[in-house]
Amino acid sequence: MVILEADKIVKIYGETSGESVTKALSGISLSVKQGEFVAIMGPSGSGKTTLLNILSGIDKPTSGVMTIAGHAINKMKRDELALFRRKQIGFVFQEFNLLDSLTVKENIILPMVLEKKSAAEMEEKVQTLAGLFEIEPILQKYPYNISGGQQQRTAVSRALVNNPGIIFADEPTGNLDSKSSTAIMECFEKIVQELKTTVLLVTHDVFAASYCQKVIFIKDGHIHSYIVKKGSRKEFLNQIIDNLAVLGGRTYDI
Amino acid sequence: MTFKQIVWKMAKVQYKKYLIYFLCNSFAVMFFFMFSTVYFNERIIEAKKLDGIQDALAVPAVALVVFTVFFISYAHNVFMKRRKSEFGLFMTLGMSHRDISKLLLLENGVIGLCSIVTGIIGGAIFSRLFFLLLMKSVGLEEIPFHFNGSMFLYSIATFALVFLAAVGKSLFFTLKKDVIQSLRSNRTAETIKLKSPLFGGFGLVMMFGSILMLYFSFSKSNGGELLLWTIGVLIGLYISLNQSVSFLIELAKKNKPFYYRRLLLLTSLDYKFKQLTSILMLVTVMIMVTIIYTTLLLTIYQSSEKDAIEGNPYDIAIVQAKTKNNLSSEEISSIINKQDNPIKQHLKMPIFYSIQTLPGVEGYFTNVVISVDDFNKLTSQQKQLQEREYINYINEAPEYVGNSNDDHQELAFNIGSKERTYQQKGMIAVKSINNLSYLHEFIIVNQAEFELLKKNADGFAAEIQLFNVANWKNTADVVEILDKKVKHYSKTAPQIADRAGIPSQQEFFQMASKIDSYQYHKNSSGILFCVISFLSVIFFFGTFILLYLNLFSELDLEQAKYQKLYKIGITAREVKRFISNELATLFFIPLVLGTTLAYLYVAILATDVGGIMKNPEILLHFVIIASGYLCIQAGYFFYARRKMCTNII
Repeated sequence: MVILEADKIVKIYGETSGESVTKALSGISLSVKQGEFVAIMGPSGSGKTTLLNILSGIDKPTSGVMTIAGHAINKMKRDELALFRRKQIGFVFQEFNLLDSLTVKENIILPMVLEKKSAAEMEEKVQTLAGLFEIEPILQKYPYNISGGQQQRTAVSRALVNNPGIIFADEPTGNLDSKSSTAIMECFEKIVQELKTTVLLVTHDVFAASYCQKVIFIKDGHIHSYIVKKGSRKEFLNQIIDNLAVLGGRTYDI
Repeated sequence: MTFKQIVWKMAKVQYKKYLIYFLCNSFAVMFFFMFSTVYFNERIIEAKKLDGIQDALAVPAVALVVFTVFFISYAHNVFMKRRKSEFGLFMTLGMSHRDISKLLLLENGVIGLCSIVTGIIGGAIFSRLFFLLLMKSVGLEEIPFHFNGSMFLYSIATFALVFLAAVGKSLFFTLKKDVIQSLRSNRTAETIKLKSPLFGGFGLVMMFGSILMLYFSFSKSNGGELLLWTIGVLIGLYISLNQSVSFLIELAKKNKPFYYRRLLLLTSLDYKFKQLTSILMLVTVMIMVTIIYTTLLLTIYQSSEKDAIEGNPYDIAIVQAKTKNNLSSEEISSIINKQDNPIKQHLKMPIFYSIQTLPGVEGYFTNVVISVDDFNKLTSQQKQLQEREYINYINEAPEYVGNSNDDHQELAFNIGSKERTYQQKGMIAVKSINNLSYLHEFIIVNQAEFELLKKNADGFAAEIQLFNVANWKNTADVVEILDKKVKHYSKTAPQIADRAGIPSQQEFFQMASKIDSYQYHKNSSGILFCVISFLSVIFFFGTFILLYLNLFSELDLEQAKYQKLYKIGITAREVKRFISNELATLFFIPLVLGTTLAYLYVAILATDVGGIMKNPEILLHFVIIASGYLCIQAGYFFYARRKMCTNII
């Protein structure tokens, strides 16, 4: 079953202001099946983050059609989209995006609070997720008192509280050291394997990408190629590095 | 491009924050100047209609200075907060502390000077209007508006002092801080560390406890306790504003569904209240003080007539010495007696002002003696007194006189070298003579004793003439003429006694009339009421600006927060509701608190006059003023909400 479908997505910046026009995405089509673990890679400025923002409904495309779980999100209004996001989509960001004035636990339940779920349900969900991602001891702490890895695990838990159909992650390991990166990617693996949730992430990090089942490479607003994991993670890692070399360009950076 | 040019370019791009800072300072100078044009107006003092105008305006003046201190230092802090991270950046790029201080001094110096110039010009224009309105509203159109040196001096000096202190403080801290501290400071984290629900509960208990204590101890207390409990209330208020949201959150956590539903609002409020404690405190206290003050003043103003009648049982009273250089009784009568306003009653009451040397020490004590016959005539009582007996008579309504009725006291008069002692036969408190200075307490003796004392004791004889006319409100003209004549005569008359402690001729021989008292009350409380109302508007406007500036100085943080929430999936409508709830709390909590405290204070103060329920006019005035405040604050709230929503959504 296809959960996410994008058809000829075009995004042009600077069109209205009449200044220099930049074409960030020039007609990208892709589809993601339920339970898939997909990474999008590409050089800086290739349009990765723009694509993710459009796919997740944070940004609007200039043209093109996207559907998530059968809903055409490009036709939704701003507030409709917001409601859709918090019910159907989970988000993980590079800079964690936790609220400083809330404790870890409160940050996790925030989407449920917005959904006006019952207190018992929230408590239960927090306990399950905290157990899964091993953050029980820090539930009462504030974000500035915990490590980056812990913050990101909090953010992952938050992304999952409303049982979304799909999780979008924008450079989830970008601000983390390698040990914390491993922990986070293992979290995503758990999400896919145990919770059967689809994960779509954008990353620079080949190590992070190697955890995925499929990697899509984009360059200059087009899909360049994609590879699917067949063997072990190590083999897949080498494949990704090879593919990036093909993608080439001086802008490539790890 | 030199570094200077870069700094200048940055300043030009961010002209808005300089403009706001400049406007705040300019307003401060302007308000100060407007106030001082009333405070230092010499004609008001000369007009003699408002003797104590400077004394009466002293309290508002202090309030204005306190407010200015807060206002300027806050405006400065907001300005500096925005500049600090920039300074940090400059310093990492290699700008020395010296350069930073020079920049800071230059900026502030220019803004300060411009503020003074524009503030004074603005003040000069608006003060004329303000003065005219003020004088017209209290019926003193004849007092001219003018400028003098003190007005300029005091407004500029006060502003400069406060401004320099604020700049000095910033300079000190900028020089002390290192680069890294200037660059980053996690204010949220710092604020959350200050959480103490226990302390919050303590603050609430302290505030309400102090009010209760005040209420129960007021009737039998002196001024000291009033002050003590007021300090208690204020400290409690501060702690409550700072910590009570933490306390309430702790309570709310007991009810999880309730707490979770308001999670965002409560935590955000907790942060905001800690961040804005001083300013919320300022708003609350200003609201409280101005409501109490204006309510009481309006009540006094409205009761001018009642007070004039109560204070002056007769329409006109004149004290005259029995010396040859004097206004004759006939002359006085002929002045007062007008065809359209004839004399209805004329009473003469001889008095004897006795002056006795104290044995052993240097000094005198004086007594005003009247005869029992005159007293009976005055009060239509039937008192009888024997030889060597006296009654202590206090010219005051009995409820204002303490119950110190020590009967059988002895009073001695020196007659020649002998002492003649009198036995007290009671005390009478009744208001039957106008308020005349030196004539408040009397010794009543019988007619024979009165004559005896007048003839033999040391002192002088005088006469109180009391007049009632058809309509006292039409006596303004005759009172003025009489007043001039009385003054003229007493100036030329020989001194009573050239001794310390004895009132001079001018002081003693005087007149007191209903119309004068009425006009005095009406003018002084009227002018005070107008000044306080004017100041309240300034305070209100000023505190709003402060609250607004402070809220909007963290706009970037707010935007970032709502951006995060937007990504999680918050709708614009929900954001609007959050902002609305948050701002409503921040704007109305101080109002509700201030009004409640003001009400309690007014109610407590009203126990002196029989409680607030027996004085519906006080209650009415309170409701009028409080609802006026509510309307203004609601206006501010809607404005701020609209601004905030358009900036964030």
